[in-house]
Amino acid sequence: MRNPFAGLERALFWTLAFAAFAAAAVGLGARAADRIAVAYEQQRSNYAIVRVLAPEGEEGLAAAQAALNAAPHVTSAAPMTAGRAAALLQQWGGSDVQAEDLPPLRLIEIELAPAPAHVDVPGDIVAALAQGGVTAELVGAPDSASGGGLSGIVRQIALWGAVAFAATMAVIVWLAARGLAARRREMVTVMCDLGATQGQAAGRVADEAARTGLAAGMVGGVLAGFAALVVLLLVIPGARLDTLRDMILPIDLLPIAAVPLGAAIFAGAGARAAAASFHRQAARLG
Amino acid sequence: MPRTNPVDIDLYERGALVRFAGVDAGYGAATVLVGIEFEARKGEVALVTGPAAAGKTTFQHLLRLALEPRSGRAVILGVDVGRASARTKADVKKRIGYVAENPVFIEHWSAFDNIAMPLRLIGQKPRDYDDDVRELVDFVGLGDAADITVEKLSNAERRRVAIARALAAKPDLILADDPTAGMSPADGRRVVRLLTEMRRVGAGVIITSQDESLADVGPINRWRMDRGHLSRVGYDGGEPTEAEE
Repeated sequence: MRNPFAGLERALFWTLAFAAFAAAAVGLGARAADRIAVAYEQQRSNYAIVRVLAPEGEEGLAAAQAALNAAPHVTSAAPMTAGRAAALLQQWGGSDVQAEDLPPLRLIEIELAPAPAHVDVPGDIVAALAQGGVTAELVGAPDSASGGGLSGIVRQIALWGAVAFAATMAVIVWLAARGLAARRREMVTVMCDLGATQGQAAGRVADEAARTGLAAGMVGGVLAGFAALVVLLLVIPGARLDTLRDMILPIDLLPIAAVPLGAAIFAGAGARAAAASFHRQAARLG
Repeated sequence: MPRTNPVDIDLYERGALVRFAGVDAGYGAATVLVGIEFEARKGEVALVTGPAAAGKTTFQHLLRLALEPRSGRAVILGVDVGRASARTKADVKKRIGYVAENPVFIEHWSAFDNIAMPLRLIGQKPRDYDDDVRELVDFVGLGDAADITVEKLSNAERRRVAIARALAAKPDLILADDPTAGMSPADGRRVVRLLTEMRRVGAGVIITSQDESLADVGPINRWRMDRGHLSRVGYDGGEPTEAEE
């Protein structure tokens, strides 16, 4: 069987493959951080608890629920049962809490639709409750304090961090490809002596570097994808390949797809620049 | 298209491959060649001799368009070098075969592939040039060494590869810079005889060497280079070649 990597410069190939792997891995990590931040923000902003202050008793809860069902931003509203409250307290506090030990609750859990950042969701809900004759307060409502806005920062850091890292890897690829051009200097000199134009001589070296970059980028990208799958299987409890297949979005694969192209472009550009410089040196002695 | 004028074209069509008039050339601040007057014609062999550091290699660089004249007029293959664009010069270079004093090869390629390089550059496919290159390999006496990578060849074999490569694209002008350096006298004369044979197919041949005795290898126009000044010595009919004997 023909070796698919025959003719590729081995040292350059693995340097480029490593750079591609690192860039793709960081890209995938950034994508994962982005998705976690989005999920956190959604969870944080689409849930709140309403505590009914007045009127007291069952009628107060019923009036509040009716008002909430008509309130803007609210997609569902349901009174919190003693069992649910006990479970939440146990989850948050860690101690064993019995439902029968809890006093009558005047709490309503609500789910919220996504709203633009400038909209005062708690204010709108409290106003809707007041219109229904209910005095209430929102507990755990979305606001900019206690983690609000953090996901945006995390997403920005993930994006620009990955871009900066990819740029660093691109520089490494560019420099490594110049090394290939240096090893092809004799060829450039010979081609120049035989009448090849700068474009012909540099293009030939650039083509070779770009082919190597493409192959190395594919290998690096696939390895990064494989590593990411292993990490996901280890980190997500109960995850299987078929569940991951449903979880992964096409855009998550962007780093793997972009890396071979980037490696080919930057390797070709680096080699072309160096070879053109060698051609100029060979073409003019005076 | 080469940028040139009708006089240059006319001279070229009448057989003047190279015409230098009052050409100065050099590197950086140093002027090596001064007021060069020179002409080479189709089917003729010019031998430029002179001591070391006389400017022979600089003269070759000028002829192979690696060096531009500082003043004067240099017309090579009908193109005024001082006015030509980079592409025009590249086109002219493709019509020149050059045997350097220290030839540069793609060392990890076979001698055959190195010889075929000029043909690949002009777009020929292996099936087109295979027979021609084999013929050249026989002509320069490389034999089985043609399939060996150049890095493994001896100095004399490398010289033969350089000659074969210079002849591969059937150039109009053949340049050889000290082609006998490092060779035995017999080998050296054989190499020069190979080069001078190319006059028979209409090419012009210009050889620079320190070896004055090469003048009797064949019919040759003799020139002398001394401290950057070139002067015509005369014409030697030369000893009969092996074929002529």
